[in-house]
Amino acid sequence: MTLMANDTVSKVRKPIDAWRWAGRFFLLVMLLFTALPMVWMLLTSLKSGFAAMQFPPQWWPNEPTLASYRKLLDPNNSVGQDFLRFFWNSLFVSTMSTILSVIVAVPAAYAFSRFEFPGRKFLFFSVLLRNMFPAVIFLVPLFILMRLLGLVNTHGSLILTYLTFGLPLAIWLLKGFYDNIPYQLEQAARIDGATRFKAFLLIVMPLSTPGIIATAIYSFIGAWNEYIFAYTFLNKNEQLTLPIGIQRFFSENTSDFPGLMAASFMMSVPVVVLFLLLQRYFVRALTEGAVKH
Amino acid sequence: MTAATSLAEANPRPGSTFFASLRRAWDHRADYLYVAPALVVMLIVIAYPIYYTVELSFFNTPPSLQLRDKEFIGLDNYSVILGSDVFWRVTLNTFIWTIASTVVAFGLGFGTALALNREFHGRGVLRAILIIPWVISAVAASYIWKWIYHSNFGVIGAVLVELGFVNRPPNFIDSVGTVLPSLIVVNVWREFPFAMIMMTAGLQTVPDQLLRAARVDGASAWQRFWHITFPHLRGVSTVTVLLLAVANFNSFIIPWIMTGGGPSNASHIWITHIYELAFGRQRWGIAAAYSVLLFFILMTLGYFYVRALSGGERKERGA
Repeated sequence: MTLMANDTVSKVRKPIDAWRWAGRFFLLVMLLFTALPMVWMLLTSLKSGFAAMQFPPQWWPNEPTLASYRKLLDPNNSVGQDFLRFFWNSLFVSTMSTILSVIVAVPAAYAFSRFEFPGRKFLFFSVLLRNMFPAVIFLVPLFILMRLLGLVNTHGSLILTYLTFGLPLAIWLLKGFYDNIPYQLEQAARIDGATRFKAFLLIVMPLSTPGIIATAIYSFIGAWNEYIFAYTFLNKNEQLTLPIGIQRFFSENTSDFPGLMAASFMMSVPVVVLFLLLQRYFVRALTEGAVKH
Repeated sequence: MTAATSLAEANPRPGSTFFASLRRAWDHRADYLYVAPALVVMLIVIAYPIYYTVELSFFNTPPSLQLRDKEFIGLDNYSVILGSDVFWRVTLNTFIWTIASTVVAFGLGFGTALALNREFHGRGVLRAILIIPWVISAVAASYIWKWIYHSNFGVIGAVLVELGFVNRPPNFIDSVGTVLPSLIVVNVWREFPFAMIMMTAGLQTVPDQLLRAARVDGASAWQRFWHITFPHLRGVSTVTVLLLAVANFNSFIIPWIMTGGGPSNASHIWITHIYELAFGRQRWGIAAAYSVLLFFILMTLGYFYVRALSGGERKERGA
């Protein structure tokens, strides 16, 4: 029936086609706007330093070369050593803060979703409010705090900080998930004699795996891309994470644009791959809270 | 839970129910164990810094950040800020930056969400490509665009020259007149996918039958959008715009890496300015006073934010 209705309507009403073509044209423009900068990054990364500095530019690299990538990945020269170390530092810091953030966020989100304790609403929104404040406000005091704790120039300072600004959204995302898991499932388990904690562990946890994955991706991407705290807390070359490392690296040699583009590309690959693989979970969790209105 | 208890919860009367709520809190003591780790972490890393920033804003602290040598100066830091020309310049920049970025990113995001709402071949791939700028690091994005805007070898300048619009490549981010719009483009590039994701999810809540019925009744595409789709998206739009506005207001990486606030403060916004005052010039007290002002602005925004969010919460719990 619907099919028939659609057919007749589209035959009768011509303007619908105009909208469709406008939509397609708009999408094409947006595709170009989105993709061209990234294409240009890739093309530049395949040029030699000399080829990149020409005017008018070589639109397509005349002699494409992987030299920039080889240099970054070669553990036998100093550039490669640094770059690989930054990469591992980023991986370590991001993984640790992700694990911690999930461990802390899961019970909190569960409590916010299920329990009716006094102050629940107030506490939930004060956690969310953290998202409102820019990192800059916290920099000086946290810098002093980290100095007191002896954590300046260690990865611990970053892991602790990333944990806190990952938490609010993690709690929000997970709460949305728990809200959608029927309470009756736990009640049934409780009637069968499980404790509240056991019901949570055996019933709710497995059902919320997609939410936990989404939360973990979010924390990981956030930590991987974080710049300002790493920029302020870390000083020694051995500890730098990628965003800062790359900046240090190329502020000394600003004309190596192919190298900079290759490094930007390599820095983007892990998070983009992770995101594309798991975007289904992620997008669902991200928007769950907002579309309930 | 009965209606009576939920009513009492919604309107706790001060005084008379204080001990009752304490008792209730005690009854629920096990619940707090679940949130305690999160709250402890947040308290250390948020409440303490906020308190500390407020304190710092009343003092003149030496560049070395030796706290023993700080000197109480009352509201002097605040009057220095409000009396400086830079403050007004930076405030205007922040205003333009936040509003323009939010409006354009939301518009483009909403537009793509609408255009992608129709099923067609390759839609999934297209959507995935459109999301990428949002996922990659802002640092990488800044470098990519810095290269694209480069005043000698930048690709946009080269295209404009090749097409004969200009004789020589323009100085997009090196000149006072163009730097802010140029940075806003980069910011929009990175942020419109977020609006797209949110609005796509919102569009899925618009009832299909309603749209189809309207179509059969002869409503035009525009009428259907205006009378059915749009009202259904009010909630998600509010949240998205607020989240974007807050994120834009708090931007740091793109202006900082691409221009450092220059040329002549033309691209300084509050956050980059505060950072430079603190870590560039060691004017800790002034930077702290700025942060406190910022805090009040954000609390105002936060009020609307929480209201928008708790509107949904109330509905959901009432249902």
